[in-house]
Amino acid sequence: MAAEPLVRVDNLSVTLAGRGGQGGTRPVLSDISFDVAPRSVLGIIGESGSGKTVLSNALVNWVQAPLNIASGHIFYGGRDLLALPETEMAKLRGREIAYIGANPTVALDPTVPVGRQIVEKLMEVEPGIARAAARRRVIETLDAVRIPSAGRRFDEYPFQFSGGMMQRAMIVDALVSNPKLLVADNITQPLDVTVAAQIIRLLRDLQNDFETAVVFISSALGVVSDIADDVLVINAGRIVERQPAGALTRAPEHAYTRALIEKVPRLWTGAQTPAASHAADVVLEVRDVERTYVVPDRTTLFGENRVRAVRGVSFDVRRGESFGLIGESGCGKSTLSRLLSSIEPPDKGAIRVGGQDIAGLRGKPLLEMRRRFQLLLQDPYNAIAAHASIGRTIEEPLRIHGLASGAALKARVRDVMAEVGLPADLYDSLPVGLSAGQRQRVNIARALALEPSLMILDETLSALDQVEQARLLALFETLQQKHGITYLYISHDLAMVRRVCARIGVMYLGRIVELADNAAIFENPRHPYTRALLSSVLTVEPKPFLPETYLLEGEPPDPIHIPQGCSFRSRCPFAFDRCAREDPALVFDGAGAAAACHLADGQLPQAAPLIAAGGHPIPPAN
Amino acid sequence: MSDIALTARPKNRGVTARIVAGAWSSTEMKIAVCIFLALALMTLLAPLVIDASATKITVADRFLPPVFMEGGRFPYLLGTDQLGRDLLLRSLIGLRNALAIGVVSVLLIFVIGCAIGIYSGYRGGWVDVVLMRITDVQMSIPVIILAITILGMSRPTAVTVILVLVLAGWPTYARVARSVTLAERQKEYVRAAKILGASDLRIMALHIAPSILPSIAFVAVLDIARMMIFEAIFGFIGIGIQPPTPTFGTIISAGTQYLLNAWWITIVPGCLLALALTSLNLMGGVLERSRNLVLQGKL
Amino acid sequence: MAFAIEFFLRRLSQGLLIVLLVAFVIFTLLRVAPGDPIRIILGPMATATAMEETAQKLGLRDPIPVQFGRFVLDVAQGDFGRSFIRGKQGGASGGSQDGAMDMADRAPVMGLIATALPYTLLLAGLGLVFSFLIAVPIGLAAGLNAGRWQQKLGLYVSSLFVSLPNIWVGVVLIYLLSAKSGLLPAIGYRNFAYAIIPAIVVAVEMSPVLIRAIAVSIASNVQEAYFDIGQVRGIGRNRMIYRHVLRNAAVPLLNVFGAQMIGMLLGGLFVVEYIFSFPGIGLLTINAVFQRDFPIIQAVAILASAVLVLINILVDFASTTIDRRLKF
Repeated sequence: MAAEPLVRVDNLSVTLAGRGGQGGTRPVLSDISFDVAPRSVLGIIGESGSGKTVLSNALVNWVQAPLNIASGHIFYGGRDLLALPETEMAKLRGREIAYIGANPTVALDPTVPVGRQIVEKLMEVEPGIARAAARRRVIETLDAVRIPSAGRRFDEYPFQFSGGMMQRAMIVDALVSNPKLLVADNITQPLDVTVAAQIIRLLRDLQNDFETAVVFISSALGVVSDIADDVLVINAGRIVERQPAGALTRAPEHAYTRALIEKVPRLWTGAQTPAASHAADVVLEVRDVERTYVVPDRTTLFGENRVRAVRGVSFDVRRGESFGLIGESGCGKSTLSRLLSSIEPPDKGAIRVGGQDIAGLRGKPLLEMRRRFQLLLQDPYNAIAAHASIGRTIEEPLRIHGLASGAALKARVRDVMAEVGLPADLYDSLPVGLSAGQRQRVNIARALALEPSLMILDETLSALDQVEQARLLALFETLQQKHGITYLYISHDLAMVRRVCARIGVMYLGRIVELADNAAIFENPRHPYTRALLSSVLTVEPKPFLPETYLLEGEPPDPIHIPQGCSFRSRCPFAFDRCAREDPALVFDGAGAAAACHLADGQLPQAAPLIAAGGHPIPPAN
Repeated sequence: MSDIALTARPKNRGVTARIVAGAWSSTEMKIAVCIFLALALMTLLAPLVIDASATKITVADRFLPPVFMEGGRFPYLLGTDQLGRDLLLRSLIGLRNALAIGVVSVLLIFVIGCAIGIYSGYRGGWVDVVLMRITDVQMSIPVIILAITILGMSRPTAVTVILVLVLAGWPTYARVARSVTLAERQKEYVRAAKILGASDLRIMALHIAPSILPSIAFVAVLDIARMMIFEAIFGFIGIGIQPPTPTFGTIISAGTQYLLNAWWITIVPGCLLALALTSLNLMGGVLERSRNLVLQGKL
Repeated sequence: MAFAIEFFLRRLSQGLLIVLLVAFVIFTLLRVAPGDPIRIILGPMATATAMEETAQKLGLRDPIPVQFGRFVLDVAQGDFGRSFIRGKQGGASGGSQDGAMDMADRAPVMGLIATALPYTLLLAGLGLVFSFLIAVPIGLAAGLNAGRWQQKLGLYVSSLFVSLPNIWVGVVLIYLLSAKSGLLPAIGYRNFAYAIIPAIVVAVEMSPVLIRAIAVSIASNVQEAYFDIGQVRGIGRNRMIYRHVLRNAAVPLLNVFGAQMIGMLLGGLFVVEYIFSFPGIGLLTINAVFQRDFPIIQAVAILASAVLVLINILVDFASTTIDRRLKF
């Protein structure tokens, strides 16, 4: 590049000091050197633990103990940021160099309205500006990032913003002072796919308008290759490769990069899919289940709001199959999981396990049902109590159900530990040093000790990295073949569901909007929401459903104010007047597939042909 | 803000062990524990070693100053009071009584308060509302008013003093245990236990209690000191354990009349009490800090 | 607005119920305690018939709920009854020998409380000012410098102060500042100077709680992500502290103040007034206990709990205006 670089990082090394000053130091970043050209987007990709967040902090000279900059320079405008006195650096931060972090919900003071805090920042970095002018500019910029009714939103508090809204506000906060460099650290990580896709498109547009150079850091290759001009791959604190974005995915040079690309799951091109299920008898039967919560409404005297979390959900799970429920946050998945696990009863409808309604069960029959029907939770850290040893934790269900005691109890626990791949010598240790994957194995072992015939996996694998996820999926498969266990996966992870679930239900705002076989859902979905979900997936492969056609506007309505008629119409790119009048029912066709949409087959656009990055059409999987 | 953040592998030790170890690593803790153990040992050994009486009146030996002052003599290391009784011995016995009352009342408060708190938080609904309104009522009566009403109107004994302290103290623990339980109830391990089929009682006793009680217990050390101060105040006002049993309150109260001529009667025992309380409070304070560090994942 | 109305309606009605329950508990406790109040009113020489006659007249032979109902009705009209012991002109006049006793010349409880209240308020105010003067600098320094010597100082000072029983501090200060050096007056009340030593004692008792609360709430806010991110966003550290950290720390502080400190203050005032013969509510009450002067005790207990309840309601409301999340 001919232009003088905006930022030049030169041999940067950062070390982590041992605890309490002892134990020496270990390197976190080693000999990092790169340039950022003005008005360009540099993507930095690395797995968690690669040191990329530390690098992003170093770019704004915000490295704090126990981290320590061991050597190197970061030149900006001819000056070394790392050598600048704090007062000089403070003048650059927020003004010329802006930063956006991964977790927008904690980035602002929770007790002050969002707009006021952005004005505060603007006035701090541009001392001359009048308050009224600052306010006007902030509202204009809020408008520019498509925050609806920006004037009203200005005075709302951070907790009233959703994650996606908040991230937009942080983008406003960063860009309002027209910075020359923006460091965006993993900004889409906590967001749902459809929202993340909006944020990426927004950032790309704004980067053009504001002529800002962006350093975009992420652990998702799909995101980085989508937005960046150049991509830097970082592994264990070292740069392994730098290439233009297109070239990187096409022709990675370094083995690590190849492995990284390899790990990105495929949904279409060469996707792994499960065999179609042929079982006939229904193990779990969910019929018209509804759940509404009543919460106080603070805007009217003694007012109440009704949160309609689950609004009439029905599906069947057949013996020995894997059924998947997918949807974004707020779609009612977690409420449904609570209902299914009999933590609370549904207001209406029935949940039958082996023909028996579980809602009214008490005492012994409930215990019996729990033995056959287990649920694995999402969070491997909180699902296991910290105070009990691993062996004791796995013993617990056997004790509760009085299934074994003494030597037999220990032997049974050792058996299940071996089955899930936990070393036997962990029996007496506490869970404190275990990795997320090992914890999840403890969790699995504990449920498995009861020899259940039906297991719900509620986001069970979403806290794990790709490698560990793949291992556990293989374990689940083995267990399924060996014990004939039926699985219900509840997840937001499309790739995982694509890989393991024979039949899939898509949830939106407390309903199932589409229910079909794996192939139908991924290759020929009949509901626009399913297509939007698929279009937002960040992959390194060509997609049959393109964001240009399906990208959703705005965010899901809150479950208090559900739109009349079709509840998806407020975001649907294809909504027409009938959608506002009439709530579409979930209609099954002959093949057992169903979609709740007025647009019958063929009225949605054709799926795009899958064009490989090289330009040749690729035949669809299967 | 850092993902590398401190993935350095923690030692495989339970939370409680880490809190105690973290506290013990500080010098303050070691000093406080030594002082406390020394004082506790003295209260047990002193009556066997010192050749004097805590209760026998010896008119000839009235108002003797401590030995390190002019006019002081053995065996009255810290002098005598207005009735010629050995001050050191009286203080140590007073300390023993105060400690016993403090420890017993805090134990009771801890057990009763936490049991009610866990139950209230776990059950929720109207049970929770009723129990919490009861704590409201109890906490709306200042301790001293409650004490003077109950103790001042009856004949105070060690048992009634403990009763008053327990009555005054349990709501705080019930509140704390309840609020922690509310948070804990949402955690997945509780839901996991339910799904496994554990009964409510089992969840409260075997799952929630072991996770939340240790961290509350560390703060209880501070309350032992607080209860000892209340015991002294009751004695001072004349509504504590009655003479001739030595308590700090009665010693200090009696000494105020002779302040100008025999200041040591009030000052010296007070110093001893303050020393004991400081050691307790320092222990509690360090434990609390260590607990917070551990809970924040910094230790 | 709807929120404020609903909040106060709900909390005040709850508070009223709480105070009523407190009143009932205290009222009952006093009446089941040993010792016949008539004996106290009439003195040791009264005849059995005179005692019975007075008891009937005062309604003391009715069932406790009936007595309580009557009492509540009176209180609702602002009448807390009359002292058993104290005469209108001040001083105890208990034990007149002339048979049945006319309650009319005993002092009304409200009057006694009104006379004593300004002294107590003076002592409380001065004590709070002193404790803030001690605690705010130490607590702030400790909270902003976690892990450094300031935090240790905070720990030491609060551990030491919380270990000093107020009765003992009172006596030591009387000895050092008054009896020995004559710097300040100490016993009774004649002018403002008499309030200084007692206020110091109150401050020594209160400041450790305050130091800890300030240090903890500031330290935890400094660790919040918004503090660091704010500085990266370009807002200066000092501005972040003054505009954001202090504001956020105020919520837990207000709670400590309402839930802990006011209760402590009330209790502390009682003891301190007793030590210094300071003519406030505390001294009035403790003397009333020794004289078994029930009307005074119950009135003070009820008013004290009403004050506690009210302050807690105000504190909670203030918290919701600082942190809007608490409304939801």
